[in-house]
Amino acid sequence: MPKKVMYAIIAIVVIAVAVGLGYYLTLPRAPPPKKYIVLGAPLSTAYLYGFSAEKGLRLAVEEINEAGGVKVGGETYYFKLEVMDTRDLEPGVPVSEALMVVEKLITEKGADILIGGPVRSEAALACMDLDAKYHIVHIYTTGTLTPKLHKRIAEEYDKYKWIFRITHEAAGLSKEAHEILSYLRDKYGFNKVYIMVQDVAHARAIGNILKKMLVEEGGWEVWGPDIYPTGATDYSTSLLKAKEVGAQILFIWMDHPETSILIRQWYELKIPALPVTGICSAMEQPGAWNATGGYVEYVIACPCNTGNAWSNYEPAMDFFRKHKERWGVEPEGYGAVSSYTAVYVLKDAIERAQWRPGDDPEKLVKALEETDYMGPYGRIRFDPKSHQVIQSYDPDEGAVTCWFQWLDGKRVQVWPPNPEVRLSDIQIPPWLKAAG
Amino acid sequence: MMDVLIYGLINGVILALIASGFSLCYSVSRLANFAHGALYILAGLTAWTILQPLHLSYPLAFLGSLVLTALIGLAVYEFMVIRIRGMEASEIILTFALSLVIIELLRYLGFVGPRFTLPAIATGKLDVLGVPVDYHRIAIIAVGAALTASLWLFTHHTKAGLALRAIAQDDQVAMMLGIDSDLTAALGLSLGSALAALAALTVLPLGAITVESGYGALILAIAVAIIGGLGSVTGSFLAAMVLGYAIVLASKLIGPQYQMVVSLAAIVIILIIRPSGLLGKQKELEERV
Repeated sequence: MPKKVMYAIIAIVVIAVAVGLGYYLTLPRAPPPKKYIVLGAPLSTAYLYGFSAEKGLRLAVEEINEAGGVKVGGETYYFKLEVMDTRDLEPGVPVSEALMVVEKLITEKGADILIGGPVRSEAALACMDLDAKYHIVHIYTTGTLTPKLHKRIAEEYDKYKWIFRITHEAAGLSKEAHEILSYLRDKYGFNKVYIMVQDVAHARAIGNILKKMLVEEGGWEVWGPDIYPTGATDYSTSLLKAKEVGAQILFIWMDHPETSILIRQWYELKIPALPVTGICSAMEQPGAWNATGGYVEYVIACPCNTGNAWSNYEPAMDFFRKHKERWGVEPEGYGAVSSYTAVYVLKDAIERAQWRPGDDPEKLVKALEETDYMGPYGRIRFDPKSHQVIQSYDPDEGAVTCWFQWLDGKRVQVWPPNPEVRLSDIQIPPWLKAAG
Repeated sequence: MMDVLIYGLINGVILALIASGFSLCYSVSRLANFAHGALYILAGLTAWTILQPLHLSYPLAFLGSLVLTALIGLAVYEFMVIRIRGMEASEIILTFALSLVIIELLRYLGFVGPRFTLPAIATGKLDVLGVPVDYHRIAIIAVGAALTASLWLFTHHTKAGLALRAIAQDDQVAMMLGIDSDLTAALGLSLGSALAALAALTVLPLGAITVESGYGALILAIAVAIIGGLGSVTGSFLAAMVLGYAIVLASKLIGPQYQMVVSLAAIVIILIIRPSGLLGKQKELEERV
């Protein structure tokens, strides 16, 4: 080949490459891929404490991402929520099912942090060892009221330090239940209590702790706890006995949907006792009034945290309104506000720790231990040893619970007695005054 | 103990209602319809949909739910079961798979949580021999009694009912006598499904409708059918009474937490004493052969 031709070919190739390269370099650049922090949420999504938590988590994740994500060392991370159904609240589903889901979230979905459930206490306790095995930070935001969880963290801190609980727990709620009963005794003279609970760890714990408190205090007549299996559909034995012994308060702690049968039986049989139901999924939801034609009037229930019902606390109502705007429904029960808050607490801790996925999780643990965050249900701080949220009746001091009463179609917060949070005093039905 | 007698009877009738469709279906077409619990919940939610979002009348909801569930039962036989008829394991797998599909579909459609309720027949209570009982539970006893009588009359005094019993006794001979076995079996499954709907419309107003309780209804139906003797409608009724009283007695005398243990113990004891169930003949016939 003549040299001139060869040089011409080389020149053409060089020019073509240069033009191509120039064109390529002038093309609009695709934005760098977003960086994500994956939040794995194992939840029993068919049940109230699962789907209410999911709504709270999604709302917070959407808000944070829209507001610019999480800032870590000049980089922006976005939360990515991966929800999987543990089915652990369903009767007969073994704990191992929930554990498989948690492991799947970690290994397949690449969860950097776990948040939410498992919801059933038994599953959550079993899951602690998985958290310890993978050294993954895990914030429990719904269900799981058993005191064993935080006691175990305190006892074996080095093993379980990855785990935090941002909701209340059975012992603290028993104490509050005791205070409500004392209030009713002091104000109305009600001192006969009949306790009915579900055959699950947190409910048995509450029933036994409350009975012990009342018996030790003296001046109370206490029956029960009658323990009902999950899915029980007839409560006449206990209700008729409560009527026979003249109980003025029915203390009920059950999370299965069949509590709707119990409350209907109470209403139909005209049992002259005020139901203080604590955790009670069928009574917590805003639709319970319409679904029952209003027979839930005067029933007291506990969706655990201020913000899950109408209250007098503005930060809680701010969340309440956002939830209604986003989902078209008021926060539906236990798990909503606590899950929402947990995502913000996490963002706060990640930014303080400058923690990125793949970093040492101990950095994040330390930052969470130092949390001091004002949220919809008050000040969020964790006990440094047990990682249990610090509870208080004063929102400036700690996380505030919520006990509401169904009054005229509305879930009105009646406890804690702090006027900063409650909307009304506990009301007593006229027929009960006559009986009392 | 009057409350035990009355509430034992009520619980027994509730169990009998829930199990009646399953037992009837098995007794006539030898098909263990494992979609029974799912159809029970589907019927309840169909009635709820007609009543609430569609704002139509209760009689329409009642009839609509019964007819739709019966048609689903008929379709299940005609399009699915007929192809595997006689292969018992396949029938169980198919109907159980169908059950999962229905339940998961209902969940997917948003039927989660205890928000769905059906109205009670009447509100209020009546003192029966000194024991307060709500009107709806009294109505359940009435429905149970009417259903038992109707089923007996149907299976003993109507051509279709006699045909059902004929194919249950001997399919081949029944066909030689001119009975269309497939048509009769389809009628059996359709009727069994309608009975699941009737049970739903009667029992579900006691509380809220939750999709997951379909599995519970299926387990109860199977337990009652096994104790009663598979294929014996009368045996199922007796078994429901045994379980109903076992639950109430256990709650009263030992504690409500033992009601399931006592029920399961009753099942074990009955099956040890009578392996074919209270009125079943299967085991005895096999041993005789």
